Formats: sequence, C-alpha cells, structure tokens
Amino acid sequence: MSVSKSRATNSLLRSERKSLIRFLQLYVGLVILLLIALAVIYYEAGKRFMLSEQRADLNQYAYIQTKRLKALHHYFDERVTYPRDSRFRSAIFDNEYHEIFSLLKQPKINFKQEIYLKDRKIHFVETLDEFYLGTRYLVLEVDDDGVWSKLLWRNILAYGGVIWLFFMGLGIFLANRFVKPMRDSIMLLDRFIKDTTHELNTPLAAILANIEIMDLSTMQEKNRRKLERINAAAITVSLLYKDLTYLTLEQEHKNKDEWIDIVTLLEERMDYFRVLSLSRELSCQTDLERAVIYMDQRKLIRVVDNLLSNAIKYNKRNGTVGIILRQGSLTIWDTGIGIKEEQKEMMFDRYMRFEESEGGFGVGLSIVKNITDEYRIKIEVVSKLKEGTRITLLW
Amino acid sequence: MVKIIIAVFTLTFFVWSDNAYERHCVSCHRELPTSLQRMFMYYLEIYSGEKSVKVALKRYMRNPFRDVSVMPELFLDTYGIKQPLKLDERELEEAIEIYWETYQVHGRLK
Ligand code: HEC
Repeated sequence: MSVSKSRATNSLLRSERKSLIRFLQLYVGLVILLLIALAVIYYEAGKRFMLSEQRADLNQYAYIQTKRLKALHHYFDERVTYPRDSRFRSAIFDNEYHEIFSLLKQPKINFKQEIYLKDRKIHFVETLDEFYLGTRYLVLEVDDDGVWSKLLWRNILAYGGVIWLFFMGLGIFLANRFVKPMRDSIMLLDRFIKDTTHELNTPLAAILANIEIMDLSTMQEKNRRKLERINAAAITVSLLYKDLTYLTLEQEHKNKDEWIDIVTLLEERMDYFRVLSLSRELSCQTDLERAVIYMDQRKLIRVVDNLLSNAIKYNKRNGTVGIILRQGSLTIWDTGIGIKEEQKEMMFDRYMRFEESEGGFGVGLSIVKNITDEYRIKIEVVSKLKEGTRITLLW
Repeated sequence: MVKIIIAVFTLTFFVWSDNAYERHCVSCHRELPTSLQRMFMYYLEIYSGEKSVKVALKRYMRNPFRDVSVMPELFLDTYGIKQPLKLDERELEEAIEIYWETYQVHGRLK
C-alpha cells in the first residue's frame, strides 16, 4: 500500500499541480512582500527613534549656538569669528535660504524637515525667532556612526529569518492540506482499480480464448458479424486490463531494455487491432521504414497500443488510421474528432477523458506520457478539432 | 577770496564725488548716537534676508512710522521719527544697495 501511496502522490494531475504551484508562487510572493514591508516599517521606526534621541542633544546645542550668535550679533563687526563647537558643525541661513556662513560637510539641506539623515550626516534645522546676523535657519550637523543601522539590520535579518521560516512552514502545511483531498481521491481510485483488475483477469482470458477456438467456417454470416463485434469489445476490455495491470503492478518491475525492431512490433500490434478497426470500418495507411529503439518491450507495446487504440476509438466511421515510421520518429495519425487546443495540456493527465461517451478510465495517455518521459522520448501533438489528431514520438 | 573759492570747490567736489549713500544718509546720521551699522543689525535681526531687508528699508525711508520702526522706544522718544526722505527712486535704491553692501554679514564672518 505504501508503494501505491507514493505513486499516487507523484501522479497529481498536471492541472492541479499547476494551480498548486501558482498558489505557492503567490504565497511566497506575498510573504516576501509582507517581510519587506515589515522590514521597511521596522527600519523607519528604528531610524526615527535614533533621530528622536539625537534631537534632544541637538536641541540643546542649537540653544547654545543661538546664544553665541546673539552675542556675535551684538558685537559685530568688532568680532567676526563664527562660533565653533567640537560636538557639531553648524551653518546659518537667511529667510531666503541664502547661506550666511557654513561649516557643514554636507551642504545640501532640506529646510522642510526638522531632523533627518543624509549620507551618514544628521541635520537638525532650527528656526530662530530673532534673526541674529540675519539668521533665520540654524542648521546643525553631526556624523552618524551607523551603529543603530547595523543593529537594526541584524534584528531585521534575525526576526525576518524566523518569520520567513514560520511562513514557509505554514505554506508547506497549507499546500499539504490543499493537496490532500486530491491525493486521497486518487489513492482511492488507484486502490479500487487494483482490486478490480484482479477480478477481471480470469473471465477476460476465458472470453478471448473461446473466441479464438470458435470455428468461423461453420457459422452463419450474421452470427460471424456478431462474434467479430464481441471479439472487438473483448479486445478493448483486454487493452484496458493491460493498462491497468501495467499501472498497478508492472510499473514497479525492473526494465528489461533491449534493441527492438519497431517494424516487426508495429505489424504485430496492427494485427492485434485488426478486428477492432474492422468493426469501425477504418482503413489503414502505413509508411514504415526500418527503425530500432532501445527500451523495454512491454513498455513500448503499451505506448503503441494506447496510441493505436485511441486513433481507432476516436476515429469516425470509414476514417483512416495512419502510421509513419522513420528512424528516430513514429507518427500515428487519425481522422477523428481531434482535441481542443486548451485541452492539449491536460490530455496526458491521469483520469482525464475528453469524450464521455467512450469508455475507459482515462489512464491510457498518462501511461504513454509516463513511459516516454522515462525514456526521454518527446511527444508532439498536432490536432485539429473534427479533422484529426497526429501524435509523433521523437527519440 | 582764493581760499574761499578753493574751499567751496573742495566742498562741492567732496559732496559730489561721494556716492548716493554717503551723500544722503551718512551726513544726517552723523548726528545720531546709534550708528548706521547698529541700525543695520536691527534690520537684519528682524528682516533676515537681503530682499526683505531692502524692501523694509525702502518702505521705512518713504513712510517712517513709529510702530514699524526697529529702534528702541527710548531712542524714538528722544530723537523722534525721521522725516520721509525726498529722494528720487533711483537714488534711494542706490543708497540702500550701498548700505546693504557696506554692512552685510555674508562673506565677513571668519
Ligand atoms: C534727515 C536726516 C536723515 C537722513 C537723510 C537719513 N536718515 Fe536715517 N534716520 C534719521 C533719524 C532721525 C532716524 C531715527 C528715527 C527713526 O528711526 O525714524 C533714522 C533712522 C534710520 C534707520 C532706522 C530705521 C527704523 O526702523 O527706525 C535706518 C535703517 C536709517 N535711518 C537708514 C537711513 C538710510 C539708508 C538713509 C539714506 C538713504 C537715511 N537713513 C537717511 C535721519 C536721517
């Protein structure tokens, strides 16, 4: 059971996997956005806190400097030395923002903000009420040591990391919840099929064997027709049976890879399908050149059988099934119902059926995909609705 | 006679050779105890920038009022408000311009 569980997990439908991936992308994107927003808010708050601490000092410096300016104002121009202070640099501006005198290292000043950080310099803009020496704005400048910033960054990385881990954990949890119902239903179906296939084996073998040994020559034309139809139906069921056993049991077997002469194999398979195609009055066009491939024969048969049976099943009455074989490519085409462009993507999904009227579990093409993926065989699908489908394998 | 002529000549020369500011402002202000420099500093203290100071000066020279004067009450009580200056526009502006250039702080701080 554990085997079938892991397989079921791998066989999530492509469409569903796609929406799962989209969900995860969206989720990760949102989390990143959230983290960035949090970091920005945190950093800004930290910066504002640092500035507000600086403001207390700067306010006091400004008060002292204003007093000095006042004194200089009264003794101007017997004294002309601008008052300096080792704790800060300062500059004075008139009400037209013209510089009167400046000791600043960073000359660009934003008069609209009282305190701000620029290029690792903190500027404090004090507006005077009495314009000593014409000074409307007194600007103080101190160097920012950047310690606060380093501290903030360390915190952002640490907390951010924790939050990130938390959200990623949550994301995985959510994704699992999201996938679980699908996985459950697929597992259920898998188990059901596995159980049923067992029961199919014996009666199917009996039907086929008995049809084989029936003497057609002594039979009336009418009855022979009926028997052929029974035969065709039995073959269809037998195909399904093989697919299902392949899925549930044989898939796990080790590959017995060997060089296979594809022409021989194709002829044998066509022979096998003859009854089926006759019942639909299909004609067959073949264009076969010698070609070989190195793979497990059972698997190649599953691929060919599924493609041929689809070409027959979805064909119209009196239609044609074509096979073109070259070294490195095998094309099987039909004149059937075709498939819609938007369905192409999902056509290899398990349990996906496009024609409800046709029987089957919709496992055929998923097996094909499974096997061709394993052998790195490329599949090209060209299809026109109501005109036919053309599937080419390239290796 | 020659002395007088020379004296008058020198005086006229002296008067006319000076600029509008020297001619119109300094002479009268020599009588006052507060220097033009101090008065300029009052203006700076109240009007700050170049344009504002010049506009205010010009307005005051044309329409001196007690309540717009920058001088202390005590000063005004003693010396009164000055008379509106009767200079033509160009000369007043020139005088103020020179006044500004003479006392402005920018470039003189060290
Ligand atoms: C006729 C004499 C006289 C002349 C000419 C004169 N002033 Fe005055 N000025 C005064 C007196 C008197 C005061 C003080 C009274 C007052 O402030 O109104 C004064 C005041 C001032 C003040 C202070 C103004 C204030 O707000 O109180 C300034 C500045 C000034 N003068 C500049 C000038 C300039 C510049 C000129 C030349 C364009 C000039 N004065 C020409 C007599 C004069």
